[in-house]
Amino acid sequence: MLKLKLALLNVLRNGRRSFITLLAIQFGVISLILMGGFFASMYEGMRENVIRSQLGHIQIYSEGFNQFGSQEPEQYLIDPDVLKQVVEQVEGLEQVALVTPRLNFTGLLTDGSKSLAVIVEGINPDKEALLSSAVRLTQGEDLFDEDLEGALIGDGLFNSLNLEIGQSLTLMATTADGSFDARDITATGAISTGTREVDNRFIRMNLKHAQELMYTQGVTRLVVLLNDTNQTETVMALLQAQFAEKGLALELRSWSDLADYYHEVVNLFDGIFTVVQFIVLVIVLLGIVNTMVMAVMERTPEIGTIRAMGATRFEIISLFVSEAFILGLIGSVLGVVFSILLAQGITASEIMMPTPPGSSQTYPIRIFTESDLLLKNALFGLAIAVISSIYPAVKASRMVITQALRFA
Amino acid sequence: MSVVKLQQVSRAFPVGNKPIVALDKLDLTLEKGEFVVLRGASGSGKSTLLNLIGAMDDPDGGEVYIHDQALSTLSDRQKSKLRSRYIGFIFQSFNLIPVLTALENVQYPLSLQKVPNAQAKARAAEALEQVGLADFIHRRPNQLSGGQMQRVAIARAIVTKPDIILADEPTANLDSETSTQIMDLLGELNVQTGLTFLFATHHDFVLSRASRVLELKDGKIIKDDKLRGLTSVKTKAS
Repeated sequence: MLKLKLALLNVLRNGRRSFITLLAIQFGVISLILMGGFFASMYEGMRENVIRSQLGHIQIYSEGFNQFGSQEPEQYLIDPDVLKQVVEQVEGLEQVALVTPRLNFTGLLTDGSKSLAVIVEGINPDKEALLSSAVRLTQGEDLFDEDLEGALIGDGLFNSLNLEIGQSLTLMATTADGSFDARDITATGAISTGTREVDNRFIRMNLKHAQELMYTQGVTRLVVLLNDTNQTETVMALLQAQFAEKGLALELRSWSDLADYYHEVVNLFDGIFTVVQFIVLVIVLLGIVNTMVMAVMERTPEIGTIRAMGATRFEIISLFVSEAFILGLIGSVLGVVFSILLAQGITASEIMMPTPPGSSQTYPIRIFTESDLLLKNALFGLAIAVISSIYPAVKASRMVITQALRFA
Repeated sequence: MSVVKLQQVSRAFPVGNKPIVALDKLDLTLEKGEFVVLRGASGSGKSTLLNLIGAMDDPDGGEVYIHDQALSTLSDRQKSKLRSRYIGFIFQSFNLIPVLTALENVQYPLSLQKVPNAQAKARAAEALEQVGLADFIHRRPNQLSGGQMQRVAIARAIVTKPDIILADEPTANLDSETSTQIMDLLGELNVQTGLTFLFATHHDFVLSRASRVLELKDGKIIKDDKLRGLTSVKTKAS
């Protein structure tokens, strides 16, 4: 009890030095929480963007599609009978917001003078409007079920062909039976998926029109949107079990299995975060070590006296580590409080961030302050304060008592 | 019964390239209840002797025994425990912990012995009463006079009920009147508690209170006078 009180009184003894130490700890905690919170918001933004613009939460394919579908996509389409059965089954799950089919193929788009290779997606416009909420209409009008020939053109492609809304185009493709066919489409609007590379080659058209072009009633995949991203694994497991039970030759992929670019970005930013964390750790550590060494020097005769009274080396170490623990605790709590306030202020200011690499949209800066991030960094502040005190504490404990007493 | 025994103890310190001998094959035995004054000029080895008996320094040769325990066989931790249990220190500059009150300063050695808080507090208050500072227990060192601070230091030294108190020039920073009061107090504690005292001092007025006077010169005891016992004196707060 008295030892703890002594540690607390020693913290208060030199207010300016303790204040500087607290600032160093807070600097570390605040910078890591803000950076971690910003990265977390960015990851969430990217994740929801890929889910709601392209991938959905779960995609369902015919068995073998992911292994061989790129060479012979027409061989791995989902049969209309199976499609109906699966849609009913998936829609019956309470976690599912909607399920919609897509038919994907590549083709050649021409405006009469220029031709460009394109990626085509046949969609159910009404359902896709709900699923692809992150796909932004940049010009013209959205696609509707009734507008059979209408098509949404990626805005990069729209600009590179110098198109106008309402302009007629011709789309050519290899059909499911291997012949070659073409259909007229009308550019009803330009869209941005948020990914520049996709926007430069992408077309969305009515599923029925796409199936006519491809001479098929099948679809490439079923895209499932859930109410909550965190339910993805649970629903995947549930569907896999149900499909196996009914003997349906289908395979499933989660958004995470398909979002390679998302994972690459996350890994890159996690690496950057680790480096920054290390730099902050070194800065804070040196700051605290410096002030703790000064405290040890100043209290040399006191250390000698306490040792003479019978304190062991460990008790001297524990005295200084206790002081650092108190400072770490106060610094971390203050750091967390200030981080929350700063994060709320920054998020409320709606500062727009520049377009990230590979993206075509700006976004407002947001900083998440989730409890695990706050707790992790508060513990980081506490740990760093304690770690920083070990060298000065050991130095204090190793003082020769008779020499220490000479400074009295 | 011997509290401290030194056998052929030597200690030298290097000064430049040459070792300066502080203690030279010194033999000494201190009995329980003795009030021993250690005299000698600066550099005669008084402080070195106190440091060795206090288990704060190691001899280059010979052996120091506290309660028949050879200090050379003890680890640093064991020496700390021995200091805590058997030895009390009184320093020239009082060496009180500035952030603690008088009561807490006296309580601190007991906390090192893991004495429960309430018990430690009661014993510290009792020790402060014994040195005439019952009314000053909640004052910090900077709110006390030099004499009062030394009384707190004395209370801190006796609170653990050690077997020997080592005091290095305990009156050097005090005026003569306060010094006399402090010596009277220590003399009374010696008589009342049977504690063994070993003082290093320059002051001759201490001699009249001593039961034994040792004189050191060039690291050797050149005089060892055993005198009459002390008479009890009244204690007053300075």
